Amino acid sequence: MTETKEIRYQGHLHELQKQLMGDYYAQLTAIATGKSDTKNAHLLIAGNPVELIRAFDMLPVFPEVNVLQLAVRKQSLPLIQKAEELGYAVDNCAYVKADVGLYLSGYQAPYGTIPKADLLLCNYVGCNVYLNWFEHLAELTGAPAVNIDIPFVRSADGEPSPGDVDFVVKQLEELIVQLENITGKSLDYKKLQRTVEYSALVGEMWAEIKDLTKRRPAPYDAYFDSVTMMAVLYCLRGTEEAVSFFEVARRELAEKAARGEGPLPEERFRVVIEGPPPWPFLRVFRDMFSRWGAVAVASTYSTVGGIWEFGFRHDPQRPLESIALHMLQYNLCNRTFLQRYDQMARYVDEWSADAVVIHSVKSCRLFSAGQGDMREYFVREREVPTLLIESDLEDPRYFSQAQLRNRIDAFFEALSQRRLTAASDAAVAAEAAR
Amino acid sequence: MRYSVGVDVGSTQTKAVLLDEDRRIVARSLVDTGAYLVRAAERAYEKALAEAGVGRGDVGYVVGTGYGRFKVAFGDDQVTEISCHAKGAWALYPNTRTVIDIGGQDTKAIKVSDRGEVLDFAMNDKCAAGSGRFLTNSAEALGMDVSAIGEKSLEAHNPVRLSTVCTIFVETDILSYLASGKKVEDILAGVHGAIGSRTVALVRRVGAESEVTFTGGVARNVGMIRSIEEKLGIRVNVSADSHYTGALGAAIFAIERMLAGAEVMA
Amino acid sequence: MTLASALPLAAVERYREIVEDRTFPTVREWRERTGRKVTGCFPVYAPIELAYAAGMLPVGLFGAGNQIEMAHADSRFQSFICSVVKSTLELAFIDRLGPFDALMFESICDPARNLASVMARNFPDRHVTYVHLPQNMTSPATVDYLTGEYRRVAGELGAVSGKAVGEEDLRSAIGAYNGLRARLRELYLLRALSPEKISTAELYTLARLATLTDPADSEPLILESVATARARESRPKDRVRVVLVGSFCEQPPLELIAAIEESGCYILDDDFLLGWRLFKRDIALEGDPFRALALAYIDGSVHLSTKHDLRQPRAASLIASARAHRADAVIFLGAKFCEPGLFDYALYRKALEHEGIPHLFLEFEEKMWMYDKIRTEVETFVESMLFT
Repeated sequence: MTETKEIRYQGHLHELQKQLMGDYYAQLTAIATGKSDTKNAHLLIAGNPVELIRAFDMLPVFPEVNVLQLAVRKQSLPLIQKAEELGYAVDNCAYVKADVGLYLSGYQAPYGTIPKADLLLCNYVGCNVYLNWFEHLAELTGAPAVNIDIPFVRSADGEPSPGDVDFVVKQLEELIVQLENITGKSLDYKKLQRTVEYSALVGEMWAEIKDLTKRRPAPYDAYFDSVTMMAVLYCLRGTEEAVSFFEVARRELAEKAARGEGPLPEERFRVVIEGPPPWPFLRVFRDMFSRWGAVAVASTYSTVGGIWEFGFRHDPQRPLESIALHMLQYNLCNRTFLQRYDQMARYVDEWSADAVVIHSVKSCRLFSAGQGDMREYFVREREVPTLLIESDLEDPRYFSQAQLRNRIDAFFEALSQRRLTAASDAAVAAEAAR
Repeated sequence: MRYSVGVDVGSTQTKAVLLDEDRRIVARSLVDTGAYLVRAAERAYEKALAEAGVGRGDVGYVVGTGYGRFKVAFGDDQVTEISCHAKGAWALYPNTRTVIDIGGQDTKAIKVSDRGEVLDFAMNDKCAAGSGRFLTNSAEALGMDVSAIGEKSLEAHNPVRLSTVCTIFVETDILSYLASGKKVEDILAGVHGAIGSRTVALVRRVGAESEVTFTGGVARNVGMIRSIEEKLGIRVNVSADSHYTGALGAAIFAIERMLAGAEVMA
Repeated sequence: MTLASALPLAAVERYREIVEDRTFPTVREWRERTGRKVTGCFPVYAPIELAYAAGMLPVGLFGAGNQIEMAHADSRFQSFICSVVKSTLELAFIDRLGPFDALMFESICDPARNLASVMARNFPDRHVTYVHLPQNMTSPATVDYLTGEYRRVAGELGAVSGKAVGEEDLRSAIGAYNGLRARLRELYLLRALSPEKISTAELYTLARLATLTDPADSEPLILESVATARARESRPKDRVRVVLVGSFCEQPPLELIAAIEESGCYILDDDFLLGWRLFKRDIALEGDPFRALALAYIDGSVHLSTKHDLRQPRAASLIASARAHRADAVIFLGAKFCEPGLFDYALYRKALEHEGIPHLFLEFEEKMWMYDKIRTEVETFVESMLFT
């Protein structure tokens, strides 16, 4: 096999991302160290009302983003172990354990210091571990906590009922009162409309960026490279900075697409990747695909915090209703497992993928529980070659490099071989027809 | 004459197979892997060459496979053992559509095309081992040689049920059964039944299409063959060369690549 | 099969066979006798009254225990998923769910939610109802939401049974289960006061039987059993008094429960089958019954691991129970891979240590077969309690 060397894309958007994220963590550190009296709320990535937080000039803190960065820097394990010493089980979600460990270490991370929450805002969007997580933070830190209940999708057509929307809007109105109490300010409705409009603009551009990977070659990897943009999409959504960032990203990636450039010198396989990445081994894991010329043209992980590619936009004319719809319907976590099959099937068809790769992570059962059935569905019902591999998103102890590489190599070997056979059959047939 | 060689560096044993241009097996060799994978590969290769009476200069292409495939320093290419077992099983039994391989660390079920290509495969997940190691540990717990346990298990009249397929806890289970006076053959039948169930579950994932060929070192264990056949309800092919299947597949890949290379040269 | 007998407790061995029989003999018998339909209810808590009001029998569907060997379901759910999720699916694969016309799953955890999807995809002929139980216990809007959710679920079940659920139907279903739950509370109270008169294995068998039968049959049976047990002449033994927690969803094998007792414990309180006896008091029969059922979940339920009520600390009710039962210790008996239970343990442990209440952590799987290890652990724990 010929080794495919990867081209590292280092455009302006990477620089800008680094700068924006650096500024964001500097702001959090300023609060944590008493240099700023800005209020903060800890909340979760999946479908959240960050526009409301921003409308009150509060800062959102995302424990998931904090702990995944620790994993990328290979610093998660001692924190996980610290939590396990307290009685957390080996089988508990390692994101939660790392966050508990981080809190117990004074919330000091290499990228900044995390402020204690003025409000623990648990947006219960599908993931039941979110509830445990924030309940534990509330008991550990003593910070005030609230659960916003987002009824899970239950209808056959995937639509929430009017009652579901009303329920969420009412809870958001109650949240506004809480935020007014915390900040001592009343809600500036115009400002809320503006933050929602920023989200709408960002959603529009993100959807256009996602559309670019329908081209051959895809201008960027929709799994590994999306991560750069997701950081801004989540941490800074509802701000002007996020809008400017996505303008740059859209322009740069569209130019790349126009030049016919991709993340690899040659795009040999187009894959859809399902599941979160193994953060502690991101680099190694990416290389396992790059060496085969495999590029992700779509990923479910990039829709945890919202699904914009199928048309949803926030609406500044109906700010609370559209935030509610985002939380109820337009994010991966609050949709059923079978809706995820459909989402992936759409990616396979509309983004012209050759195969599906399911990365099953032990920590996140919302993602992983039942992925054997998902594999069965794609192999049997849709006849798409599908690979199921296992590790974890935060705990390095579940990553077996030799085993993963063996399975990934075998999968692409088989795809290559079948492609060769098909090509030679076609050549023989053409010869015979002549 | 140009020869091709496949070297399969496994976790416990390293195998080599040497083929002539007509794909006939000229020599096969087997050595313990030990701690130095590079040397194990080298030794298996030398042994096969010596057996065939062939010099290194007569070998046109070498493919490494198995977990240590990147340690075959003299190899021209590497192919995973999943592709190699499929190819090797197909070479031994051309009607093979499903391959079962129980290795030291991994158990796999492979769906194969009529040309020996991998169509789909499923492997045991991380902690539900149920692999060759499980048999080794069980044999150890009973103070028996692993080569004897399959035969012994066939004597069972009342197989026990194991509460685990965990390679670590199986010893506790076995000791409890021994303490409660269970017969060794009944315990062993339980052990083979447990791995048989896990294996057949994997086979179902890819679809159990006939013919089924059982490869790898564990295929020499008659207790495993019986357990799998009973659970699948069909006979399985087992070759006398079963533990060379991976190396054989690698050698066939080697010959194919050698010929393809020759075409390019011409 | 008739359940009532002159001395119901004498029949406990037969009941035990029934509760361990995954061909569901009582359920098949009920179907034949009544000609009506059945809803299987996955733990932890399902609003069973809605099914009963639709003319169906709600039945507790707690997986396969240690009665079957997994052959299909573990290719769908990974090795790190708890057993009850897999074995419930396995029952469907091996065609044991024939007596069930509908299945009800609830938002208790991530694997259970995905199980509802996988079940629906693989067995499209059996209706799957998914109930979203709310987690905001402080918003006044929550009761309206849950009332609406119960009306929706009643509509779905009514469509399966062919009998729309009216308010009067629901009121009478609530009445029936109020009666059953009252008997279960009496059963638990008897054991708490006189653990020498009824073993937990007996109590469990009776309570489990109630999840497999019509409350019209099980209520009198438990009533009689309590009376029989109360009349027993038994001398209290020198045992460690424990409160057991952690087994609210996947259920331990009966032999395991017996093994814990036999190792020298009186279990005075537990959370087995908790969803079937969730309410502290009778649900109100006045007013809108859907709302009454919703309010009971929000404000009238005992502590539930899968309900996140931020109004009190997680361990508060465990500590209160240990104190109220004058327990010497707490045994945490958690199902392997059960995330809600395992998360709670971390908070329980902290609180128990703070309160100076000794505890023992045990892990089980419903499919376990040998209890030597757990028995040794409990015996050691008991020795350490009795001799120090």
